[in-house]
Amino acid sequence: MNIYIYDDYLNKPKYNRILNRVEIRLTDLNLNGKIIRLGTIRNVSDVIQNEIKNGAKTIVAVGNNQTVSKVIGAIIDNELYGFFQKNILFSIIPIGEDNSIAESLGIKAGEEACNILLARHIKKIDIGIINNYYFLNKVSLLSAGAVLEFKDDFSLSTNQKGIIEIFNLRSATSDDKNLKVNPVDGLLDVYIKTGKGAKDLTRLATDNLKISAASAELVVDGALSLPAPANISIVRGKLNVVVGRDRSFD
Amino acid sequence: MFNKEMKLEKFKDAETVIGSSVFVKGDFHGTGNIIIEGGLEGSLKTDADIYIGEKAQVTATIEAANATINGQVNGTVKVHQYLALGSTAKITGDVNFQELSVVRGALINGRLSSHGANRNKKNTPEKKGVLVEEE
Repeated sequence: MNIYIYDDYLNKPKYNRILNRVEIRLTDLNLNGKIIRLGTIRNVSDVIQNEIKNGAKTIVAVGNNQTVSKVIGAIIDNELYGFFQKNILFSIIPIGEDNSIAESLGIKAGEEACNILLARHIKKIDIGIINNYYFLNKVSLLSAGAVLEFKDDFSLSTNQKGIIEIFNLRSATSDDKNLKVNPVDGLLDVYIKTGKGAKDLTRLATDNLKISAASAELVVDGALSLPAPANISIVRGKLNVVVGRDRSFD
Repeated sequence: MFNKEMKLEKFKDAETVIGSSVFVKGDFHGTGNIIIEGGLEGSLKTDADIYIGEKAQVTATIEAANATINGQVNGTVKVHQYLALGSTAKITGDVNFQELSVVRGALINGRLSSHGANRNKKNTPEKKGVLVEEE
């Protein structure tokens, strides 16, 4: 059974037309299922847990990066997820702006996403964790200085203005294509760019780090802001996702 | 011969790069190629190759399969195969290698020893406090 989780903002009239088209396409493809609207429920995790108990096989976030964050958190924190993980598939139907995660997975907007869902090309990808939150794409920080600690082995510091990005999954459109980022290798890829034109580059891979920076905010998947310091790690192969041909990884 | 080996190109796909604005403290160990352009204090070790840039300042013991050094190193350098020192290299510490190439201008203040010397059934005499100015 397919469960479609619609974000609140899709209640706006401007999304009626695209939602109608998506729903018609899903029906045509025999992919229809239960629709849950985030605005009407208080505890997303409980609702998803019930659906998993009732045999849900595919959970689809309909919305943008923020919708994906909410749904992923609710799926993975779920008591039943570990047991049913092999059988549960996650997908996205991107609607509107701010959909870099769907782009990274090669999922196109609106009706195209329905075709990709039908094709069911599946990858098991890693999930990033920052404090108590999950992320698929990246954590970024604009800072005039930061310290990154890697387990007990070493620390890395910079006191120059620049951008620090910690990737699990590279955005297919907004991130540099030359970045070596792979969401199936069990590693986070850390990039620090400083200097004029961000030409001074530092890059390394790790599975765990702590980042500290004075009065700076960490932006998670472009959707959530958290204060530093923060612990960041990765869980390997945690999520079965539907991907499209134009995804940002092999 | 030296020019080709000193170039950064063969390290283009290095897994780890430490830029010039970054300082690393601790035991920095890896398995892939490493480029250091910034500062490092502690130890630096990889199963693959290390490239140390002209402006890098490294105070550490270094161990790698191959290494190219163009910057300043304070500490013991152990290279299992080939060590190339550029004209701007300045090493204070003992250096162990199988094969070595040195460009004029490189400075070494320490003991040089080659573990490849046995190949020729002849031991290379160790030198102490050597200032190498020519290849």
